[in-house]
Formats: sequence, C-alpha cells, structure tokens
Amino acid sequence: MARTGDDAQQFSYAQDKLTFLLTLVPYLIDHGRVSVATAAAHFQVSEKQIRDAVSLIAVSGVPGETTQYQHGDLFDISWDDFDERDEIVITHMVALDDSPRFSAREAAALIAGLQYLQSLPENVDSGVYSSLMDKLARGASESPSQVAIASTDATGALTELRAALERGVQLEFDYLSSRGSQEHRRVDPLRIDSDNEDWYLRAWDHRREAVRTFRLDRMTSLEVTDEPVTGAHDDVVLGDRLFQGAADDLVVTIELDPSALSLLGEFVSNLDTRALQPAQSDAPGAGAGRVRARIRVAHIHGLKRVVTAMPSAVTVIDPPEARAAVVEWASAALAQYE
Amino acid sequence: MVSSQKNPPAPVAVEERLFSLVLALLATDAGLTKNEILSTVQGYRQRYDPAGDNTSLERQFERDKDDIRELGVPLETTEPPGEPGNNQSLRYRIPRAAYELPADISFSDAETTLLNLAAMAWREGSLSRESQRALLKLRSIGGDTSEPVLGYAPRIRTRDAAFDPLSDALSRRLIVSFPYLKPGDAAARLRTVSPLALVQHQGRWHLKGIDNGVGEPRTFLLSRITGPVKLSRQGFELAPGTYASSALEELDEIWESNLAELEVRPGTDAAVRLSRRRGAEPGDGDRVRLHFTDVNLLADELAGFGPEVRVLGPAHLVDAVVTRLRAAVRMHSPAPEGEAG
Repeated sequence: MARTGDDAQQFSYAQDKLTFLLTLVPYLIDHGRVSVATAAAHFQVSEKQIRDAVSLIAVSGVPGETTQYQHGDLFDISWDDFDERDEIVITHMVALDDSPRFSAREAAALIAGLQYLQSLPENVDSGVYSSLMDKLARGASESPSQVAIASTDATGALTELRAALERGVQLEFDYLSSRGSQEHRRVDPLRIDSDNEDWYLRAWDHRREAVRTFRLDRMTSLEVTDEPVTGAHDDVVLGDRLFQGAADDLVVTIELDPSALSLLGEFVSNLDTRALQPAQSDAPGAGAGRVRARIRVAHIHGLKRVVTAMPSAVTVIDPPEARAAVVEWASAALAQYE
Repeated sequence: MVSSQKNPPAPVAVEERLFSLVLALLATDAGLTKNEILSTVQGYRQRYDPAGDNTSLERQFERDKDDIRELGVPLETTEPPGEPGNNQSLRYRIPRAAYELPADISFSDAETTLLNLAAMAWREGSLSRESQRALLKLRSIGGDTSEPVLGYAPRIRTRDAAFDPLSDALSRRLIVSFPYLKPGDAAARLRTVSPLALVQHQGRWHLKGIDNGVGEPRTFLLSRITGPVKLSRQGFELAPGTYASSALEELDEIWESNLAELEVRPGTDAAVRLSRRRGAEPGDGDRVRLHFTDVNLLADELAGFGPEVRVLGPAHLVDAVVTRLRAAVRMHSPAPEGEAG
C-alpha cells in the first residue's frame, strides 16, 4: 500500500518541510527499524521524500562543545541498512526524541473541524468529541486560536444515507430538481459531500446511467431498499466539484461585482475566473469594478434564482431568453405583493 | 546579498537551517546568545562575518524565529540577571517540556479517524495547511491517518477572501483594518479592529472584534468586507477567554429572537427546503415560520425563491425582498443596450 507519485503530498513551504523533519525523527526513533516504504506510506509522502529527509537528518545535529559539529554531535543511521536494504535505523540521536506540540492554529483548525463534524450521525457520543478537543488543547503550545463553527442539525436523511452506504444497498427517493419537476430516483449511493451547511449525495443514477449530485434537502420519501448496489463503481472518480459542466450546457454571460464571487456558491465552480473581463462602462447597471464572465449552466432555472437573490451583485447580460427568465421569475414574485 | 568573501558559502537549504536552529536551541539549557547562534549554527555560520556587518543575517534570524514559533515551537528569550536591557546578551532556548507533546496524550484509532476527517474538512484556505501539519504530528506519535473514511467528504468553505488574513491576524494578535459595507450604507467604510474570534454560524463566517473606532465589540460578516484586509504591525493584549463560543451564543440569541412568517407554495423547492430548515415551525396551511440572524441575508435567499414564497412579515423583511425583486426586474428589462459597443 505504498503511496508514491501522485498520491504523495509535496511540501512547498520550508515550514512544512521542517515540520516533516521534526515529526519523522520521533517516529523513526520509536520504531527502531522501519523500511522506507512503510515510513512513506505512514506519512503519505513519496519514498524519495523519506530518503531525502533521512539523508538530511543523518548529517544534522548540534554545534556541540567544539561548535564544529563533530561526529558525536550529529544524528547517525545505519548506512548499510539504508543503502542496501532501504531500511532506516537511527543509531545515534541528539537533542530531539519526542513529537512536537500542536501550534495554536493547528489545534484550532482540528477543533473547529471536529465541531463541524459533530452534526454527522456517526455512532460517536458527544463525550468523545469533547475529550478529543480537550486533548488537542492540552497538546498545543499555546491556547488554541478562537475559531469555532456552530454545530448544525444535519438533516435526518443523513442517517439513512449513511446506513445505505454502509450496507451497500440502493436508495429510492423523490427528487425535486431546480427546474421544479419532481422525479422518482433509484440510485447507488457513493459518497456524502458537504459544503458548509449544505449536504449532498453523490450517487450512481440508474435511469441516467451516470453519477449525479443530489441536495439532501430536496429529497423526499427516502427509502433504503434491501437491494444491493449494482456495482462497486470503482471506476468512478469523484472530484471535489459537485457539479460538472456538460456539452449541451447553456452558456450565459453575466456581469458581477468581484466581491460577490464568494456568494455565487455552487456556480462558482463553473466559473473560469481567468476569463473575467472588465465590464463595459456603458453596459446596463454597470458599476465600478464589475467584471464580465461567461459561465456554463445546465439550464437557466438555477441561475435565475441566484440572480434574483442578489440583483445588485450579479446581472445576466446574455442571452435575451435568460434575461427574460429572470424578469418573469421576479415579476411573478412581485405580483404577490401588489 | 553581496558577499565579499573569497569562497562563497555553499547554500544551505532553508529547512536544514531551521532544523539545525531547533536542534541547537533544544540542546541548550542555559540558552544561546544571538551571536552564538549566528556564528555556530548550521546555515547561519556559513554566512557569518566575525569582523563585519551581520545585519542581513540578523534579519534572517528574526524571520526564522517567527517561522518556527508559528509551528508551535516555544522559543523562549531570557535576560541574564544584572544585564537588563542589553539586547546582545539575550539568550534563546526551547524548553523541552513546552516543546514536547505531553506523554499522556495519545489517540485511539477511532479518534484518529475523526481527526483525519476533521482535517479533511479543511480543504481550502490557510487552515488546510495547518491541519495537514497537525496530521503530520499525529502520525509522528504513531497515529495511522491514512485510512480513508469511507462515505464522507465533508468540506468547510472559506470562500471569503478575508478569511485567511483574518485568521492570521487572530493568531498573531494584530490589529487589522478593512473596508466594510454595512447594509443600507451607500459606501464601505474603513474599520480598524482587534480580532477576537472567527466563527461560522448558519454557514457564514463572522469576525468578532473590538471596533477601535467606537471602542466596543462588534460582529462583522466576512462577506461584507469589500476590500483587502490589512494587518498592522500593532499588537494588542488579549486576555484568555472563550470569545468564539460567546460570539456563537450571541448569534444564536439573535437567531432565536428573529422570526419570519412565510407562505410557501406546496410542492416547490421553497416548500421542501425551507420547511426542513433548523428551527422551522409549520404554521396554518402553507405557512412556515423561520428564525434568522440577518434580515438582508434572509431577504437575498427568499427573493431567490421567486413566486414560490410570499413573505408575510416582519415588514422590514417584506420591504427588503420587494426591493430585490424590483431591482432584478429593472436590471434585466428591457434587452441590454450597448452590447455592440
């Protein structure tokens, strides 16, 4: 299970490389003898990264009494084992033998992450979370930074989805698309994704014979069947993007305030930020600093909702049908108040 | 960095210099003076000039100190008795007990799985690097964090550009300034703030801080910060406290006290999603009551639902929704002009 190549994390910053060295040494000392492959798999780095780090550790040490980095002032390894058997044995150590504490921010990041996970319907009682957070705080060199995430009541469907995933069975539910049409779906669940407070199911849709992303809060009449999933779907690669563009997508030109980019939510993943163009000053509603972009959307219905929510930040420029769809949507809503 | 030496020193990698610095400071009980460090520690000594000016090397040391402190390495400075105020005689060391993870801290497999998932949730922004470093430290004590947690891909979003600089300022306790657009104001106003906490509530990041303009604590929505966050060099004293949890409690109180009355069209997206929201109370017929923290954020969302929802109250929420709907109509009709130009 050695991880090499693409799977390995690369450290781009000297601080991360230093952390790797400071964490690798205690691990090696603890293990007495460990193969390069095992250490690489454990730290999820390439074997080359382990070899490079060990080679550096073996010539590192303290200035010592002579301030000349004499032999006894340096780490040493068994070079025969290293060169011939690709195994690491530290034979002499200096100054460092235990693992470092967490920094205030590192502890804070994990604590906030745990707070976020508390909404997951795992069989973990809250005592486990609080004892973990307490350990992280005690294991930090300073009190953790004040970062917190409100725990949310994740929708009840999560428990059932989780059960279906674990048992490897199919799911059935009614799904309301953003077009407004209700359809019955039968799927093989693949993964539960979240994006802050929004939860999604990535699943193999039987009728469409493709992977689809479903918002949990749009599912109704959810049923966990007893039928096993139709395949392992090992060939399916689930990226981080929840929604993928398709060839028959509608291309829409929008104009937006760059500071509103973060508000566009799921649409932002479809937006090629390199293609942003400064807006023409005579364009309707153009304000200072607005930019134009072309985005691909599956249909206008999702976009018209976003645009109607934030008309001062995002405007549809083209095509005319898309502009008309926004006007129709907003006018129908306004009619209720007149 | 011009070197007048005859033999230019062989370059030492940054991580090697930092690693050697940590080792040297861990090994000393009495501490090392800056001069001892610069003249003897690997990575500095090659560039040290015993007879000349070491200003750039000293600056390098100052930056390195910041870098290793950021990793949670406790770098201590002591002033030898009898020589107060003499910068040259300050001694630096890393006290072992404050450096090492306490021996009684260990993590079970189940705990390691949760921590792995917690780190995975930070897939963007500066805290993703912090969590990856925390995982390295976990692996150091043997925690096997390689096992993927099947079935989940949680993600905490930090889409706001202000998040990274603010979290940096928060941990370094530095005063920041940023342009902030308060709803209803025509233009953003520059605020100078001592950050106390960053909290996510209802999926939105908020900064709790002392607004130095009024000398009082305020809560800022990160999405309303309209320009770059500037970190000053000025620090501030922060008494230890539970700023983050009290900020969340305050937001919860506001959420609790605000109630919107809506009518949703059955079978629509609005009906399905709004009625299942946390704290949503079904009313008579197609009515739903929702708690909220910010009238403008809720108005954005409700306007987006278009004819699927009619807001019955409170009045300022109705006004805010109608304003958005009118703007949407105005901005999109008639056909755009100036396309050719």
